[in-house]
Amino acid sequence: MSHIHIPDGVLPIWIVAAGWLVTALLLALSIRRVNSVDVKRKLPLIGIVSALMIAGMTLEIVPIAYHINLSIIAGILLGPALAFISVFIVDLIISMFGHGGITVVGLNTIVIGAEAVLGYYLFQFLRAVMAGRGVGWSSALAAILSLFLSTSIMLGIVYVSHINPAVALHTEETVHDEDGGAAVDMEAHGSLDFGRFVKTIFLLAPLGWALEAAVTGLVVSYLYRVRPDLVAPEKT
Amino acid sequence: MDVSAIDYYANHGGSFLHRASAPSKLVFAGLLIASVVVTGTFYFLLGAYITLAALVFRTGLPAFKVITFAAYPAIFALIFAAAGWNGNWIGAGVIVLKALAAALASVIVIVTTPYPDVFASLRPFLPKIIAEGLFLTYRSLFLLLDLLDNLLKALRVRGGISRGKIVRNVVNFSSGIGLLLVRGLDISEKFYGVMRVRGYNGKLSDGYDRAGSPLCDAGAVLTGAVILALALVMRYEPGLESLGIYFVYAAVLALALSAAWGLYPKREAEAWKKS
Repeated sequence: MSHIHIPDGVLPIWIVAAGWLVTALLLALSIRRVNSVDVKRKLPLIGIVSALMIAGMTLEIVPIAYHINLSIIAGILLGPALAFISVFIVDLIISMFGHGGITVVGLNTIVIGAEAVLGYYLFQFLRAVMAGRGVGWSSALAAILSLFLSTSIMLGIVYVSHINPAVALHTEETVHDEDGGAAVDMEAHGSLDFGRFVKTIFLLAPLGWALEAAVTGLVVSYLYRVRPDLVAPEKT
Repeated sequence: MDVSAIDYYANHGGSFLHRASAPSKLVFAGLLIASVVVTGTFYFLLGAYITLAALVFRTGLPAFKVITFAAYPAIFALIFAAAGWNGNWIGAGVIVLKALAAALASVIVIVTTPYPDVFASLRPFLPKIIAEGLFLTYRSLFLLLDLLDNLLKALRVRGGISRGKIVRNVVNFSSGIGLLLVRGLDISEKFYGVMRVRGYNGKLSDGYDRAGSPLCDAGAVLTGAVILALALVMRYEPGLESLGIYFVYAAVLALALSAAWGLYPKREAEAWKKS
């Protein structure tokens, strides 16, 4: 649920532009950081992890309007900088498939990128703290915390942008009836009830977080058994 | 999301949109999305969506399947619309139509343009690592979906996924994803090795080199420009807002003609099947 599925044209332009600007800056920082490693060797890994994220994002769990992001796994496997680049690639591709607006790719990258980056650092921290519990528990807990934080960032964006349908409809506009003459005042539309929106999100999201945490914990645990080198990458 | 079908449609169609170049279609989608951003008029959005549906029929591709691909964001748009619901369906309709129209514009580009062309035309605007990452991700997606398909079949056949056993299903599915990742990584490492042997030095292609038909390019850009112009006129000229309903009538007519074109003469509609 941390993914911003707000359609194009609903968020104010300033926040969309700010999203792109911040993403561009973070991408520049990430690219600068990964220049110190053999990027050519990492490209196939970025490709496969990004593809896995796309596959996860297209598996919709309709009743709770949730899809797994696998972004924490991306963070753990790729490291923060490469994971952020990977998240941007994923957002760009899925927006081309109509999944999430093109204009909100910047904001989506910030939200899901935060998930991946936080996931990486939380995993490293929890792994050190919970040394006796195994990587599965550390990654699952890191997933829940990251998803909670990224969902909060998403809600913060919605709150800051003061989204309401009246803004999306441009309040001064009118809609004509079928004769094309009489107008219906669009100001009659109510604004988004932020409290109701938060309740809806926090009612549905924990089910998704639990699922994502379980999948993340089990996948990381499996990978640690089979390819432990993947779970402790160089810090990129 | 049926990526294989999307790729097949992009490579085997013969419509004017298939013949247009990738940059012209990206401009078309950009203009459409800009019109969705600037407008908030229900009838305009409905007209734009029906026009895009007419274009889908005109491509001769399986129209309902393509439109269904692009209907995915409606689920989330409905949640957002529900959060602001006050009994007026027009407000909710605007939110949903904005999502549907923008998504359909993007999907039209993807189903009529081979992905190397789309990414190659984006290459000048993207850092090298992202441009190469886009190609490799899309390539990996096909590998992964193949593996995923086999994995799901294997899980079902061996009783790894069964009704009502949620915990067991999640455990088996997660192990499956782990296996998928390991196998995918093996394949991509081999892929990397092959690329190195063939002289890969961090650059996969020399960029966009496929020219489209100038007439088709103009048609795509003009369609987008006309829709954006209409959106701007309706936004800033209050007296002309009634154009919205006439736009819907015109779009419905275009849809009927496109559907008839696609169904009756079976020219382009068959082209992608025969190849």
